[in-house]
Amino acid sequence: MNKTWNLIKVTLKMQYSSVGKSNSEKYGVYILLIFLIPFAFIIFSVANTIIQEMYQVLSPSGNESLILGVTFLSLSFILFLVSIGSILSSFYFSEDIESFIPYPFQPYQLMVAKAATPFIHLYITTAIFFLPILLFYGAISHAFFLYYLYGLLLFLLIPVIPFILSALIVMFFMRFANISKNKDRTKVFAGLLSLLFIIGINVAIRLNQDPGQLAEMLTGALQQQNGLLETLTKFIPTAFVGTMALADHDTVKGLLYLLGMIVLSGLGILLFLTMGQTLYFKGVLGLNEGNKSTKNKSISRTKVVSHHVWITYVLKELKIIFRTPTFLLQCVIQSLFAPVFLVVILLLENSASLGELLANFEGKYVILILFLVTLFILGVNPTSTSAISKDGTDWYLNLYYPISMKQIITSKIIAAWMINLLSILLILLASLFLINIPTTILIMWLLLALEVNWFTSLVGTYLDFLKPKLKWTDEQEVFKSRMISLKVLMFEVGIFGTIVLLLWNIPIIQGLWVTTILLFLLLAIAIFTIHYLLNKKIAEKHYQQI
Amino acid sequence: MIKVITINNVTKHYPGNKRAVNNLNLSIPDGEIFGFLGPNGAGKSTTIKMITGILPIDEGSIIINGNDIVKEPLATKKKFGYVPDRPDVFLRLRGIEYLNFIGDIYDVPKEIREEKIERLTKEFGIYHDLNDHIHTYSHGMRQKIVVSGVLLHDPDVWILDEPLSGLDPKSSYTLKQMMREHAARGKTVFFSTHVLEVVEQLCDEVAIINNGKLEFHGNMDEMRDQFKSGETLEHIFLELTSNE
Repeated sequence: MNKTWNLIKVTLKMQYSSVGKSNSEKYGVYILLIFLIPFAFIIFSVANTIIQEMYQVLSPSGNESLILGVTFLSLSFILFLVSIGSILSSFYFSEDIESFIPYPFQPYQLMVAKAATPFIHLYITTAIFFLPILLFYGAISHAFFLYYLYGLLLFLLIPVIPFILSALIVMFFMRFANISKNKDRTKVFAGLLSLLFIIGINVAIRLNQDPGQLAEMLTGALQQQNGLLETLTKFIPTAFVGTMALADHDTVKGLLYLLGMIVLSGLGILLFLTMGQTLYFKGVLGLNEGNKSTKNKSISRTKVVSHHVWITYVLKELKIIFRTPTFLLQCVIQSLFAPVFLVVILLLENSASLGELLANFEGKYVILILFLVTLFILGVNPTSTSAISKDGTDWYLNLYYPISMKQIITSKIIAAWMINLLSILLILLASLFLINIPTTILIMWLLLALEVNWFTSLVGTYLDFLKPKLKWTDEQEVFKSRMISLKVLMFEVGIFGTIVLLLWNIPIIQGLWVTTILLFLLLAIAIFTIHYLLNKKIAEKHYQQI
Repeated sequence: MIKVITINNVTKHYPGNKRAVNNLNLSIPDGEIFGFLGPNGAGKSTTIKMITGILPIDEGSIIINGNDIVKEPLATKKKFGYVPDRPDVFLRLRGIEYLNFIGDIYDVPKEIREEKIERLTKEFGIYHDLNDHIHTYSHGMRQKIVVSGVLLHDPDVWILDEPLSGLDPKSSYTLKQMMREHAARGKTVFFSTHVLEVVEQLCDEVAIINNGKLEFHGNMDEMRDQFKSGETLEHIFLELTSNE
């Protein structure tokens, strides 16, 4: 037990130690947190109103516990999905796993230690979703001390089952699917699978939406107390047991449900440790062996090619993104998620009517909306916000190669811009074939989108350049627990959201052309300003200090 | 003799005002193999990182073949090739792609590139691995691909940080041969190490640094003269660096 505890402490220290982090970085996080407080208040007050409304509707039929049920159910689902990623990354793909294997630890000890980081993520997620609802529901239902005590205990227990469920699936997958021997392929495969899963669920829900049937089922369930709850939570027993424990906290039944929850979680942990003991090492050993092509292939002379430095550097950037599974998933595949989603929705909906609807709108408003949507879709792409960080320790190579820093950074912006072209192309095709947007608007949008693309790629790269994360052991760290994407989005949408709002409401600005030209000019000014700031930082030799 | 690297009063502070390198003065002549010795944490790597432009210089200046690394970074960087102590470069590129990348950024003409890539990688025994990604290479193979990249553009000054660690005896021998050939063509090899046998076998001149300060600079004979002759290099090294 002592050894396990030590191991947990070491893994947590490696993950969260503030050694090597500058003070300004720490303060930056605090300041951002302070800024998030008002947002939190808005979200909480909205949640509070929703819960109050639902309570009033549901309590006459005795179905008010449904609020808790839905919370438990959706939370379990979210926790399950979050777990898959963090289990793969913590248990299998983190680079430090190899350094632990030679020590005389039992597989289960390593697993417990390695589970610490994912669990912290899960508790943060649970705290955000569960605790406010617990408090609001408690306030509305005039609950007493015992309710909050049960709530806290349940808070500790909720993540256990979803985590174990996904851990077991991942361990089975890694042990028996035999693809675990190729780490790169597994990463891409797992990423694609979760993407398809989410899109699949969306399609399934949309296809099965028969309002009549749904209403019939709901009325049937409403007629009995807690009927709705049982209907919805029958697939996840802990969601049902947890809800009942809270809802009946003032009776012995509630206590029994709580004990049931504890026993279920305990059994889960036992199963996790037993299965882990036999499955874990078999999946993890040999994972870091690379795949080598067979020897004695002579390189053909054509392989020796020469390019201009600009091309060679941009190509290097793109090759690294496309060949590193995590980068491929985060920068390319996930960034296509929003456009693909859009296409799926358009395919399923009656999209031709959307085109007609747009045609009735004035050009000014259409282009303003399209502009904001494009800004958002391109702005969330992490290629630029990880432009420097992706290099990791390779960054220092740039410092002694005879290439100017301006050229290096510009090449990185170009690479991010090119990757975003994929999203633009997809939206373009969808607009051409599915929506029938008028050609003039489409051309205007395309020109704007190319400029927006440069703007978002530039802003992301500039902000990453100011404070990159170069010391990582697993590529996931480049994207996880960094505030940069949020900062970029707040910056971009903050500035241009306000501008769009102004343009929308200023009556003298009318027509498609005027609006587009104005947006074009404003973007150009923004781009010019950021380039000026970037060049200033480069001239100050900031790159030697990061 | 022309001095190809001149380090003038160079000082580097680390946070807490600790001096990693303290008022260092060093001139390295061309056509020589220069060994830069010191115990762990003496300031060798910091000095090399300042010479190559990776770290900013707090005080003083560094001139390589007439160019100041701070004032004319690009012109200076074209004059040297650097082999870092950790050869894990661009792991997702194939060996051949890495060499092409280096060829492009140092403007190596295609014909020269073809001939040199074949010759160098065959000498190192990695020719048949050039189509593999560098992340499948062993430590030694990674070291060899980086060395091949440096020799591809034939720099005036060849700077190596702990070059022989991780190499097998045959590769180590080949690398030492290459260092000798480079110097024989009138060019300079500057390398850091704490492997004393290598210094004895290779170096024309030696500098010993300890706690960021230069403790000794001269050729091997001068070193032995200054101390009791007949003493091994190991003894001299231990004596010079004993005040740690």
